Amino acid sequence: MNLAPYRKKSPWILHYNAGGCNGCDIEILACLSPKYDIERFGMINTGNPKQSDILLVTGPVTKRSRERLVEIYAQMPEPKVVISCGACASTGGVFRGMYNCEGGVDQFIPVDVYVCGCGTRPEQIIDGVVQALAILEKKTKGLEESVKLKKEAVKEGLQLNRRHIADEIKPVLT
Amino acid sequence: MNDVLIPVLLILLAPLLGGLLYGFERIVKARMQRRIGPPLLQPFYDFLKLADKRRIMVHSTHAFLGIMHFVSLWFALAVLLLGGDLILVIFLHLLSTSLLILAGYSTRSVFSHLGANRAAISVLAYEPVLIIMAVSIFMLNGTFDAAAVFTSKEPLLYKMPLAFIALLLVLPIKLKKSPFDVAEAHQEITGGVELEFSGLFYEAVYTARWLDYIFCYTLVFLFAGNNILLGTGLVIFTFIYLNALDNSTARVSYKQMLRFSLGVAGTLAFINLLLNSLS
Amino acid sequence: MYSFITGLFLLPLIVSGLLLVLPGKISKRLVILTSFLLAALALYIFINTKEPLYFKIPAYVNEAVAGADILLLIYFGWVALRKKSWLVGILTVLQLGGLLYLLKALPESHSVQFMVDKLSAFMFLLINVISGIIAVFSLRYIEEEECSAFRKKYFLSILFWFIGVMNLLVSSDNMEYFFLFFELTTLASFLLIGFRKDAVSVKNALTALWMNQVGGLAILAAVFFIAYNGYGEATFSNLLAHAADKGILLPLALIAVAAISKGAQLPFSKWLLGAMVAPTPVSALLHSSTMVKIAPFIILRLSPALKDTPVAMVLIGLTGFVFIAAAIGALAQDNLKRILAHSTIALLALMIMMGAMGTPVTIVASLVLILFHGISKCMLFLNAGVLEKVFHLKETSDMDRLGESGPFTSLVITLGFMSLLLPPFGAFIGKWLSIETLGALATDKKILGALVMVAVAGGGAVLSLLYFKVMGGLISRSGEQDRVRFEKTGPFYSATIYILFGLVLAGIIGLPLLLTHYFAPVAAETGRQAVPVVTEGWNMYIGSMRLPLVPLLVAFFLLPVTIITALFIRFRRVDRASEYMCGEKLNYSFSSFYFSTDRATPYFYAAGILFLATLILVALI
Repeated sequence: MNLAPYRKKSPWILHYNAGGCNGCDIEILACLSPKYDIERFGMINTGNPKQSDILLVTGPVTKRSRERLVEIYAQMPEPKVVISCGACASTGGVFRGMYNCEGGVDQFIPVDVYVCGCGTRPEQIIDGVVQALAILEKKTKGLEESVKLKKEAVKEGLQLNRRHIADEIKPVLT
Repeated sequence: MNDVLIPVLLILLAPLLGGLLYGFERIVKARMQRRIGPPLLQPFYDFLKLADKRRIMVHSTHAFLGIMHFVSLWFALAVLLLGGDLILVIFLHLLSTSLLILAGYSTRSVFSHLGANRAAISVLAYEPVLIIMAVSIFMLNGTFDAAAVFTSKEPLLYKMPLAFIALLLVLPIKLKKSPFDVAEAHQEITGGVELEFSGLFYEAVYTARWLDYIFCYTLVFLFAGNNILLGTGLVIFTFIYLNALDNSTARVSYKQMLRFSLGVAGTLAFINLLLNSLS
Repeated sequence: MYSFITGLFLLPLIVSGLLLVLPGKISKRLVILTSFLLAALALYIFINTKEPLYFKIPAYVNEAVAGADILLLIYFGWVALRKKSWLVGILTVLQLGGLLYLLKALPESHSVQFMVDKLSAFMFLLINVISGIIAVFSLRYIEEEECSAFRKKYFLSILFWFIGVMNLLVSSDNMEYFFLFFELTTLASFLLIGFRKDAVSVKNALTALWMNQVGGLAILAAVFFIAYNGYGEATFSNLLAHAADKGILLPLALIAVAAISKGAQLPFSKWLLGAMVAPTPVSALLHSSTMVKIAPFIILRLSPALKDTPVAMVLIGLTGFVFIAAAIGALAQDNLKRILAHSTIALLALMIMMGAMGTPVTIVASLVLILFHGISKCMLFLNAGVLEKVFHLKETSDMDRLGESGPFTSLVITLGFMSLLLPPFGAFIGKWLSIETLGALATDKKILGALVMVAVAGGGAVLSLLYFKVMGGLISRSGEQDRVRFEKTGPFYSATIYILFGLVLAGIIGLPLLLTHYFAPVAAETGRQAVPVVTEGWNMYIGSMRLPLVPLLVAFFLLPVTIITALFIRFRRVDRASEYMCGEKLNYSFSSFYFSTDRATPYFYAAGILFLATLILVALI
């Protein structure tokens, strides 16, 4: 029996703040409120990785939170999708390059959908989740590997300054 | 023929009915908050989705006890619906709860332990009331068998209204509804004993909750005797009452819960017992 | 038959003497052999006792008993002087005075002194089988105790002495004899509790001594009042023959006081809790098969006379109160043995209550509770001994690694606690019968019945919380420990515990058979009333009670089998994930919840004393 179509009918969300300013978190909670009511899609905010399908990460990954992030990701049973919610989670945002900040979520775990915005709007989040559901339906139960984990580990004490960032961003902008 | 057929059908369809009830409840709860809410079949979508997940567990003992919790709860429900001895039913229900509590204790997980502790305390909160209720029923009917209650002409509600109120007060504890949902407490201890289950194994615990709905509403139905109309009315009333309560109250601490259930509900049940024995 | 019973009386006493002089190796074999022999004898007697057997004893034995009584009291006096305990002293003087007066005033009786009926045979079975197992267990336990070689022999010797005295006690009909054996068990427990000789042991041993002496004094007073009211000889059978008289209430109340003091009910509960300082086999012995089981035995023996009297009502009220008070008191405890002691007191209260109600069903309930509580408690206590000697654990809050280092011990303790609480275990059946008969009592006796009902329902729930609290720490294993390997604890430990474990499980399977063939006849003879036990299809009827067998059979698979399977089952092709701790990877130490209920203890004692005073007052009026 093909159960894949039911995946998108009951996506359970785990929400994790990797170290942001709580702006996006408030917007996520707004999604649960009567105005947006994501429960009509069968979504539940579980708060428990073992029973969820979607990992919704907000905020940049700080040095303290990166291991927790990977641990929580590992505890979620496949198939699962990761949404990085907001500018910080996607790229590091305004925190990028800070001494305590490791950058975007995708450096540690594979991200499927990036939602932009500094304070993402609830509509954007819902839109992102809907896109993620389309990906979820196609996923297998196999393990995925992190992008960052393939690369060499981050050296201790490595600090990026503004110029480095500018060099990195330049090819993206042009 | 009907005496056996209806209970057997009910028993076989209990998870299905419970699932529908749960789905309906989610809609009602959403509408009470002016939301649209999920579709009616949402619990079954969840069920099918969970079956499709990769299987992970903490260790086999924990997973197995979760499954046996479901099985034993179904059995307790079957004994109740077939008109078994009420005391036995209460203790069989305790058996299934204790398997879940043991499952919670069997892992070295903080939240699981906390949830199991709180579930054990919930047992203390509702069990005396249920037993006193059963004894009150015995005093009126002369037997502990639920079958005698199902066939009795005069509804129990008129004879022991206080016990019904006491039951209404402890039902939120049993069904883990706010304000007495300390055992589960999502976002506080992230589901308590249910936490470490996932995928197929969580399904057992998730469906066991549907069975618990049927179990509790059957207890409510007991108060109507053989009057099906009244019974349905009572069930609907209890349903609305539970959801309204769940939506309008905040969680209390387990000590407050214990104090309330033993102090208020226990006292009501006791007064009811006294009134029954004196009349 | 007579020779078999005499063998049961004398064998433990002879072995007790031999153990003192024989060298270690032979005495070890002797203990095992005697344990088997005693169990076999008890079983034989239990199966073959049809009619009550009356023993006639030659006259010189009477003199010897009187002499032994006086010697014993002189010893108590010496203890009082040496330990400077004025309480023991006063009680000894009172007892000695009473005894001398009675010996002089009462006519010399030459009728029956011993009577072995089915109840006695039932008690033989309990005492000999379980105490034998404990004796074998203590062979190993005592080796690890730090004391001289002689004291090790002495310990085993007293153990057998205790068994012999208990056998004599449950079959004595004459109350003077009964008094002697009652005091001898007091002496044995005094010596065993004080075995470790440290300050706490000595203090608690003295507490046990004086509290039990109160019981002895009550028996002497009962003998006096029987003679004073002109009922003739002070024997149990004589007492039961005059069951209808009003004047019998006072002796009955006094004997009930003796039972309460032996059974460690409030306000006498302190001695049993203090007895926990003794080596663990002693606790097992006191709790499961001997000593405290005298209390329900006495009440059962007198239940036809007690039934429906005001004394019985007060007794029911008292025990109902004790049931919930002991359960609440247990919540504050952390020491495993103390928790077990509290739960023993609570369950003893239930047994005494059922005995005092005296209807056929309640007597069956009481017997079921006595037997199955004995087996389960013995198993739990022996495991507490294993925990103490092998794992060096005493407090439940320290046991959070036991599920990993000692899975077998933790499994047995879990099932032991479950067996006191849930269907389909024997102790549950006893509890079930109790609750259902209390419903009937509440219909008859209105307020008393309702109050006791509430106490039992509440106390039962508190006890279940208590058991969960203990189990909570015991069984947790981390995810890496999926495969379970039972620990090795040594042949004596594991053999005895396996036997008890088997008995607990066999008790479930054999329960319908036991009820019809063994409990019902015993109850019929004890309560002087036929107990109709009929099996119709899958239902069993005890009086008006219906016991459906199918749910119990299914429950057998749902509980004990499930828990054992859960330990061994391994799911294949399932991945492991670590426990969720918010992404942290820390090691937590688990402790269970804690209730501080110590504050209530003084009130409980006060209420107990109040009940005791009411007991006597009611009898006087």
